[in-house]
Amino acid sequence: MIVAAIVLEGTACVQYFSSRAALQQEAERRAMSELRRAELEVNVVAAEVEMSVKSMALMAGKNLHAPQRLYDILQIMVLHTPNMTGAGFTFDPYYYKPQKWFEPYCCEVVSGDKSDIRCGQIGGEDHDYFQAEWYRHGRENDSCLWSEPYYDNAGAKAMLVSCTYPVKDDKGNTVAVAGADVSLIRLKYIADYLQVYPESYYSIESADGTVIVPLPDMNFKRGYQRYEEYIERTGWKLAVVIPDRVVYAELRKTGLIVSVMMFIGLAVLVLLVYGTGRNLIKLVNLRNQQERIESELSIARKIQMALLPTRFPPFPDYPELHAYGEVLPAKEVGGDLFDFYLLNNKLYFCIGDVSGKGVPASLVMAVTRSLFRSFTSYLDNPAQIVAQMNNTLAGEGNEQNMFVTLFLGVLDMSTGSLRYCNAGHDKPICLPSGNAPCTPLDCKANLPLGVIAGFVYAEQETKLAPGDTLFLYTDGLTEAENSAHEQFGMERIDAQLAARGEASPRELIEQMQAAVKAFAGEAEQSDDLTLFALRVNGERVVDKSNTHYSLVMRNDIQQIPTLAEWIEMIGLPPELNMPINLALEEAVSNVMLYAYPGTSGQVLVECDLKNEKGGRTFIFTISDKGIPFDPTQQEEPDVTQSAEDRPIGGLGIFLVKQIMDEVSYERKDEKNILTLVKSLTR
Amino acid sequence: MTIRIENEGNQVVAHLAGRLDTPAATAVTPNFAALAEQADKHIVLDCSELEYISSSGLRLFLTLRKESTAKGGKLQVRAINADIRQVFMMTGFISLFEII
Repeated sequence: MIVAAIVLEGTACVQYFSSRAALQQEAERRAMSELRRAELEVNVVAAEVEMSVKSMALMAGKNLHAPQRLYDILQIMVLHTPNMTGAGFTFDPYYYKPQKWFEPYCCEVVSGDKSDIRCGQIGGEDHDYFQAEWYRHGRENDSCLWSEPYYDNAGAKAMLVSCTYPVKDDKGNTVAVAGADVSLIRLKYIADYLQVYPESYYSIESADGTVIVPLPDMNFKRGYQRYEEYIERTGWKLAVVIPDRVVYAELRKTGLIVSVMMFIGLAVLVLLVYGTGRNLIKLVNLRNQQERIESELSIARKIQMALLPTRFPPFPDYPELHAYGEVLPAKEVGGDLFDFYLLNNKLYFCIGDVSGKGVPASLVMAVTRSLFRSFTSYLDNPAQIVAQMNNTLAGEGNEQNMFVTLFLGVLDMSTGSLRYCNAGHDKPICLPSGNAPCTPLDCKANLPLGVIAGFVYAEQETKLAPGDTLFLYTDGLTEAENSAHEQFGMERIDAQLAARGEASPRELIEQMQAAVKAFAGEAEQSDDLTLFALRVNGERVVDKSNTHYSLVMRNDIQQIPTLAEWIEMIGLPPELNMPINLALEEAVSNVMLYAYPGTSGQVLVECDLKNEKGGRTFIFTISDKGIPFDPTQQEEPDVTQSAEDRPIGGLGIFLVKQIMDEVSYERKDEKNILTLVKSLTR
Repeated sequence: MTIRIENEGNQVVAHLAGRLDTPAATAVTPNFAALAEQADKHIVLDCSELEYISSSGLRLFLTLRKESTAKGGKLQVRAINADIRQVFMMTGFISLFEII
């Protein structure tokens, strides 16, 4: 851009200077042309006068005998020669005896509009023309002579210039001088030619330097150009003086215009650059904004995902409860939700779908979830909870008219009774234990949340038997589309569920997800997809006849306290508590530290309690899918050794073997299985 | 699990409270290392508030015991409860430590 500007300005400068030169030349040309024209005019006038003077002289030469006729000749001459203001003959001394001087003279007299010719004899003592240079030179030259300008007191009483020609008699002797006067005032019109510029000045000088037409009284040293022409015939010098600024007036004007245009052009360029720059900045800003929005959306997704329950395995307090849920949002953030938590021996859970997608839906989703948590903290009646949530959502501030379909359930862990309320959501499906056919849960049709405040919701109740699974989903599942725009549909869902076998809630959901993915293929996910399943495996009965407990942990020793809580929950006889803790901690720590070198993995601890007549037997199984590792093969320490000789390790498995009645290891199905048995006799 | 080390007269007393399980043992390893620096002195491990000890905890005790012997100090274990005593007996630690 700057380069362009420089080039542009450079071009303008070059143009300026060449224009200047051109104008200079133009001035010169103009001046010279006019000078020559003036010269021509002067020459014409001069030639005319010369002709007249010559004729005069010739005619005088033929009329020397009749001096009176000389006046007539003069009169005619003056009359018919426009530029001749006066004419006369100056005779040699005593030509016409007894007169010494004889100068017949006629001149023009102008008064007002009228011009008259006055004639007379003007030679005399007061006009002693013998002394005059023009007389002396005139009679010796055989050609016309032009005199220097002079002021004629006697005759015309003006500045004159005269042309002389000798008068010769029939013998060829010069007897007189014929002279014609040209008033310099007449030359003024010639001078008008020389006005080549409105403010130029001109001058006419005679050969001697006598100023015929003067220049104005100014200092012509600087800033002026002078052009001259020399007129040979009269010996005059014509000069034209032009001020520079007049010469370059055009240039100045043009220059000004060009400069202004240049600046305008430059300004336009600058504006364009500025505008483009602004646009670029705007584009960059937009790009940055977009990136920021995308990164914020991904953070929002993480926050949203963190709002959902993520901690599976089942609750340490309720190992019989298996629950698993997952949300797959269509966009970065979605409007589906599910949540569950335990309070006072009741499981509160919900699944829902906010109308719409993206950020607005996700905000409503977050609000709905927090309403769920807040109302379930002091209400356990599903109809009441849902009604309160609805009143809040349908109240002020819902100008967007976003509504939420919701299924809310309260499962009493001690009785297995499930109270629920369905607010316009897809009916959950009951999967009885074994392979009995699945049935949708019977749901009354209530309005979704956020439609009308004050709606009266109806609740229902059913019983969830041990081993029964409740499968919940959002319409993202039924409406999942493939590239042919077919929907997954209830039939496929039912078929998938029918083939569930013994799948745990997690396995169920993973299998369903795989089925949807296989169905959808390349098609983009159009709606949020949420799946949630829960199952209560065994009942917590007080006498614990045949009971199974399980706990899933990551290979992280920080989870050891969780193990302790689980053991606490099983409810061992007090004297067994500490030893079992010790033994299990040792066995589990070993697995955590060694089974998954460098990776993460799961450690499963299970307890089977067998109540028999003679007593109770606790069978603990610790299994992992890590590298083959048999802790029973470790060397036992020599406990009789002194401290100095005792190696630090090996103590763990020793304790296990000390405490437990049986310790066995097997590697089966790519798993390490360590079985610890402790019997208690009544 | 907390550990509080104090000077009582000319003794260095470490008060252990809570469950010294595997993760807890890892957490207090630096504290035991600090005690090992003073193993030339008279150290008392006060276990009046110690509820439980795992093999990892026992390892810490053993390491300190070796340091104490090497530097010519004195190490005593004070006020262990019945469960911990049972563990000490099972592992033979009962004869390795001076229990007071």
